[in-house]
Amino acid sequence: MLELDALETRYDDFTFGPLDLTVEDEVLAVLGPSGSGKTTLLSTVAGIVSSAGGSVRLDGRELTGRPPEARGTGVVFQDGALFPHMTARENLSYAATDAGRVGELANLLEIDDVLGRRPGALSGGERQRVALARTLAADPDALLLDEPLSSLDAPIRRRLRLELHDLFGSLDIPVVCVTHDQRTASALGDRLAVLRDGQLEQAGPCSAVLERPATPFVARFTGSENVLTARVLERTVEAVLLGLAPGRPLAALDGTRVTADVGETVTVSVHPARFEFGRETTAELHGVAPLQGCVQRLVNEGDQYRLVVETRPGGDSSTAGLALAVTAAPTTVSRLGLAAGEQVSLSVDPADVNVIG
Amino acid sequence: MASRAEPHRGPDWLAVATVLGALLLCYYLLPVLSLVASQSPTAVLARLDDPAVVGAMTTSVVASTVSTLVGVAFGLPLAYWLARTDGRVKTLVTALVVLPLVLPPIVSGMVLLTVVGPDTLVGELASASGLPLTRSIAGVVLAQTFVASPFVVVTAKAAFEGVDDRLEAASRSLGKSRATTVRRVTLPLAWPGILAGVTLAFARAIGEFGATIMLAYYPRTMPVQIWVAFSTEGLSEAFPVAVVLLGVSVVSLVVLNALGTNPLD
Repeated sequence: MLELDALETRYDDFTFGPLDLTVEDEVLAVLGPSGSGKTTLLSTVAGIVSSAGGSVRLDGRELTGRPPEARGTGVVFQDGALFPHMTARENLSYAATDAGRVGELANLLEIDDVLGRRPGALSGGERQRVALARTLAADPDALLLDEPLSSLDAPIRRRLRLELHDLFGSLDIPVVCVTHDQRTASALGDRLAVLRDGQLEQAGPCSAVLERPATPFVARFTGSENVLTARVLERTVEAVLLGLAPGRPLAALDGTRVTADVGETVTVSVHPARFEFGRETTAELHGVAPLQGCVQRLVNEGDQYRLVVETRPGGDSSTAGLALAVTAAPTTVSRLGLAAGEQVSLSVDPADVNVIG
Repeated sequence: MASRAEPHRGPDWLAVATVLGALLLCYYLLPVLSLVASQSPTAVLARLDDPAVVGAMTTSVVASTVSTLVGVAFGLPLAYWLARTDGRVKTLVTALVVLPLVLPPIVSGMVLLTVVGPDTLVGELASASGLPLTRSIAGVVLAQTFVASPFVVVTAKAAFEGVDDRLEAASRSLGKSRATTVRRVTLPLAWPGILAGVTLAFARAIGEFGATIMLAYYPRTMPVQIWVAFSTEGLSEAFPVAVVLLGVSVVSLVVLNALGTNPLD
């Protein structure tokens, strides 16, 4: 188990932490934008950067103050950081605590055919596999990965995501994988931590963080980019009706989920994939009338379409519209024959409305 | 479709660079060839029978080798520290390292005399222990090390800086000590730059005159021997000895580079 207790690192113009985190024998995906402190977190845990305060313990051993070589924390660097003057085999042999592990790991990570090559002659995916095999050859007590898939082409990234997911599940050591890519984080992580400006914004089981982001930042960064200010339109003991404006209901939520009174506002988030939409209709869905909007933009992202739908609260065309991000399967777009400029109706299941506060 | 305008054809900069480089090479080579061509082989070979010239050759090669090794032994750690350190101290130390390069060699010799000269505490203690630091091969090595070792430090520092420090971090996170990391990762990758620095240092040492003559007129090095031949017997007597020095220098540098294939790679 990896335990970070009030861990803190300072640079000239950047303070990381204090941060408290515990990683059992599981995969913690650390998500955050550039400059949020993801690499600093790994470097501090690995002893590459000195901490300014707090402690790091691994399986009960105090690591604080120890040099990197005495920590047992294996790091897989972005782009691999393979030794360019050594072949892939020599890279593995250099690290291996047991020479027999080289062949075993080469087999596991399917790099047998490239062992004789130097890093310059390896593809991006091969480099990352060799780097991972090299780190595992040192038999680490914890595995730290810095953006392991960021430099790879999309198809290789997708394939390696699956392979790493299976591999990490079999390691039985704490694994910390930092990434700025939400898909990689959710694919690899058992738990998810979101960093912002060197501070922990939210941590928890992956599904909990993704489905119930606790702050607008986490919501936007994990893909729930519709962060909305909703008003309590009606309130009963059992239910609360939230709306984007008077007469424009969004969803009727369980009364225990919102404490605000009628007329007060709450911040909610809705993931773009959670909207249900169709051609203009006024038929109620999930107990409220759907929002009406106009498709402003329609972008084909390959595996899905991304729509920007502008709704006009109150239907008043003179007021500024509220742009909602919506994603849709290509089959849905073609079935409805959607195009920019057309009117659509949007509804959302109350369970898919995340109340931030 | 609109026709694309013909791109402006500027000068061929590679050709310009080649011509300029060739001119500089000619400037190096022509005087050397001219010197060699101006001397009869008989006169040059005759100097190889002269005990004074042979002694000077030996002193030069031995002292230059030792001073280069001293420069490597002390210069590489300093270069590594400079490459992995930031801040004001680094700037000050770098300036200090470069100082011997900007001092006139004879001033370097004078500076050293104030520390290791026969009338100084260090000089007296060394003489009393049987290892005089002036008028001895130790003096030659001291003078050569002072003026030549900065080449090792400055060049190796640049070479170490060229090694991605993430590679060192990767090595250490694999459980390797800093010493193993430097030996197995950093030095092999920095080796071409280090070898260049060693070559420059040896070349500077074997040609050293100003500081050496202040510290150790005896035993004579080749440059001192050439100066003695010139000042006592004239330029015509100095030329053949200069050709011998040229030959020794060229052979030494060829040997150094032949030995310089990366032993750690």
